[in-house]
Amino acid sequence: MRRSSVGALVLFLCATTAPAALRVNGSTTVNPVISQAAEILRREASIEIQVDTVGGSSGGIAALGDGRAEIAMSSRPLSRRDRERFPEVDFRAVRIGTDALALVVSGDVWNGGVRCLSRGQARGLYEGRIRNWRELGGPDQRIAFFNKEPGRGTWEVFAGWLYGDADSAPLVSLLEVGSNEEARSKVGSTRGAITQLSAAWADGETTFPLSICEDDGDEVAPTRASILAGDYPLARALYVVTDGPAEGAARRLIDLVLSERGQVIVERHGYMALTAPVQAGGAHP
Amino acid sequence: MIRSWTRWASYAATAVVLCFVLSLVSSLVVESLPVLRQEGLSYLSGKTWHSRAGIFGALPMIYGSIVVSVIALALAAPLGVGAALFSAEYLSGRRRWIVKAPIELLAGIPSVVYGLLGVLLLRNWIYELLEPFDPLSGDTLLTAGVLLAVMVLPTVMTLSDDALRGVPASQRRAARGLGLTRAEGILRVSLPQAAPGLAAALLLGFGRALGETIAVFLVVGRQDNQWPETLLSPRAWFEAGQTLTSKLGGSETFVAYGDPLHWGAIVGLGLILLTLVAGLTLLAGRWLPDGRRHA
Amino acid sequence: MRRALDRGLHIVCALCALAAVSLLAGIVVTILGRGLPVIDWSFLFSATGETAGSGGVLFQLLGTLLLLFTTLVVSAPLALGWALAQTVFSPGPLWQRGLRRLLYALNTVPSILFGIFGLIVFVKYLGWGKSWLAGGILLAMMILPTITVAWVERIEALPAKYGRAAAGLGLSRGQIVRSVILPQTWGGGLSGALLGLARAAGETAPILFTAAVFSGATLPTGVRESPVLALPYHIFVLAQDSFDPATGGHLWGSAFVLLATVLGLSLIALPWRLGLAEEATHG
Repeated sequence: MRRSSVGALVLFLCATTAPAALRVNGSTTVNPVISQAAEILRREASIEIQVDTVGGSSGGIAALGDGRAEIAMSSRPLSRRDRERFPEVDFRAVRIGTDALALVVSGDVWNGGVRCLSRGQARGLYEGRIRNWRELGGPDQRIAFFNKEPGRGTWEVFAGWLYGDADSAPLVSLLEVGSNEEARSKVGSTRGAITQLSAAWADGETTFPLSICEDDGDEVAPTRASILAGDYPLARALYVVTDGPAEGAARRLIDLVLSERGQVIVERHGYMALTAPVQAGGAHP
Repeated sequence: MIRSWTRWASYAATAVVLCFVLSLVSSLVVESLPVLRQEGLSYLSGKTWHSRAGIFGALPMIYGSIVVSVIALALAAPLGVGAALFSAEYLSGRRRWIVKAPIELLAGIPSVVYGLLGVLLLRNWIYELLEPFDPLSGDTLLTAGVLLAVMVLPTVMTLSDDALRGVPASQRRAARGLGLTRAEGILRVSLPQAAPGLAAALLLGFGRALGETIAVFLVVGRQDNQWPETLLSPRAWFEAGQTLTSKLGGSETFVAYGDPLHWGAIVGLGLILLTLVAGLTLLAGRWLPDGRRHA
Repeated sequence: MRRALDRGLHIVCALCALAAVSLLAGIVVTILGRGLPVIDWSFLFSATGETAGSGGVLFQLLGTLLLLFTTLVVSAPLALGWALAQTVFSPGPLWQRGLRRLLYALNTVPSILFGIFGLIVFVKYLGWGKSWLAGGILLAMMILPTITVAWVERIEALPAKYGRAAAGLGLSRGQIVRSVILPQTWGGGLSGALLGLARAAGETAPILFTAAVFSGATLPTGVRESPVLALPYHIFVLAQDSFDPATGGHLWGSAFVLLATVLGLSLIALPWRLGLAEEATHG
């Protein structure tokens, strides 16, 4: 009796060569769009798609490189380091939309008068030289900098803005957050908090996006206008990445996202579609 | 001797499990070799961990793990032993289950539920509580410690109860017979006799606290390289920290997956954790009388 | 003075017990209060919606149940084998003690290490990717001590006369096991299994790397690359976005379902355990 059940188990294990589902992995910024598109494909085309965001943009690219995923979602461009780490992978990045990164603060900081930050001040905050909001004209409150984990696309864009190249960023030890959801949660519930976050994720009730103070005194807010006019320094593209040109289910997902229907989803989540029209009067002299 | 397949089947089953245990330990050792070879002792004594730069020092995480477990035990031990005393010395028979049953159920609550309560409730309470000390946020070593205290309370209590009930009733009767009050009987007779079992209970509770991942991950702040200026200062407990388990359970494990050195460093943390817990268990095993169940 | 101490200690211990019990009551009441209003048929039987924190937990529940089933199937025979090797078939007292110690040691291994081990073996070396089977195997090993210990206790509590009578009738050891010991002690194994499953249902760390994904899985289609959704992992991920009021109700509801599952399994086992404990101390 035992022998036959063991045999049945072995047969079962061998017979399970059903084609694997499409695996997508990466950025929590790109995730809402891809998840919704995946849901549509699942309903309409019965394609099994698994979406995971455990390691952020770098985690997704690593998964793609290791063969653990077919599509990587990334909120930062591919870097030299990525290509060095996975030399046999033919990375193909497809842009699906535009987003703005903002330094998002908690309500008490915003209401306390801090509305914009310069690059130099941001550096001071990141490196721990500025420790209290009153040094920036805000309330007397310790600065709780919730740093996105290095490896998150949002962090890499931020570090690139501060230091030219993410790899040149100094090593710091700050409170860490992983996903966009977590960052928003923590900032919304902590006094004196600031984090790097997609501007679309700041809800304007408990979390607020700061403007960037330029050297010439201009304040550039992360609005559609300034992003499309190219004034906001922290605008960034959102990508999906494949190994070689996308095929099969991956192709269908990417096509869906690039289609009009997909771009509507992009806009609905607060990002900018690829073909977003430039607003009149948006350009700065 | 009659050939019995039942006997050999049970030996085979045992062998399978033994295989599993052996491969678990050896895989942790083998996978962490790269970092041990490269960094050697500085892996254990290094105070900075910067994965991007290939610097791996585990000491702040060892510190974090120990601190949260100490806090947990400091809170859970008095409560647990007190409750065990109540159930073992003051209650009898069926009535014991008024205390034992809720405690056993408490032991069954999943750690993710504790984590949820920690994130949604405890974090904010601690944040408000610590206001005079100007904390950065509600995610601190203290928060993790308090949460762990609730989680290891059942372990401490059940094992202490077992230890106390191991003291023969004849001893208690003799104490009463000599005119000692119940309290004196407890303090002079029961507690000293049960002391080895109680110590084992505390050690095992400590081990349980060290090994907890999910709940700690959610409330400890996960800030690397937190090393206090003075080692025993409680000030550091009001800041965020990182434990061995909170690092292991995080996304860095996935990012490290492909890189042998980084991966080795992460698995090495697991090895450190296993060593610590195994050491505590061995120590407790000396004091725990053989044949005792434990929660 | 002595009487004051006597009374004082009594009060202190009673307070400790009260505090401990209130903690449980508080936790259960909180989750009940916040989670119950969210529970309805659609929560239990519909899948999670497109936006995080909407919809129900059907596939998470199914995934958890699949993992539990696998865990039971894998661990029960192994636990029985170990229990027999430690008692009836034990070659000697040294082996017995050794096996028992090893079992206790296995019980104290932190669950995250099962997860890391699973990542090394199943994901890396076997190349299974995320697989429900890997999760089931890891969980089975994790709860093995619980089942084994319960079974061993039950076997050891069997009056020796049964074994002697059976031997006197000429039954071999194997036959004794099959026709006397197993029928009499399976209750112990069952109660241990229920307790173990209760623990496995709530565990996140072992399945974090090896079996669970947050979205996109429904029912597995094979062994490799077949993750499942699971209640604990679902809560774990959502808890990190706990501040969004939209997720709030869903989160408490999920926690309620998980807690109900876990406590339900433990409660079923309670009468057996009550009987067992009293036997052990009075027998």
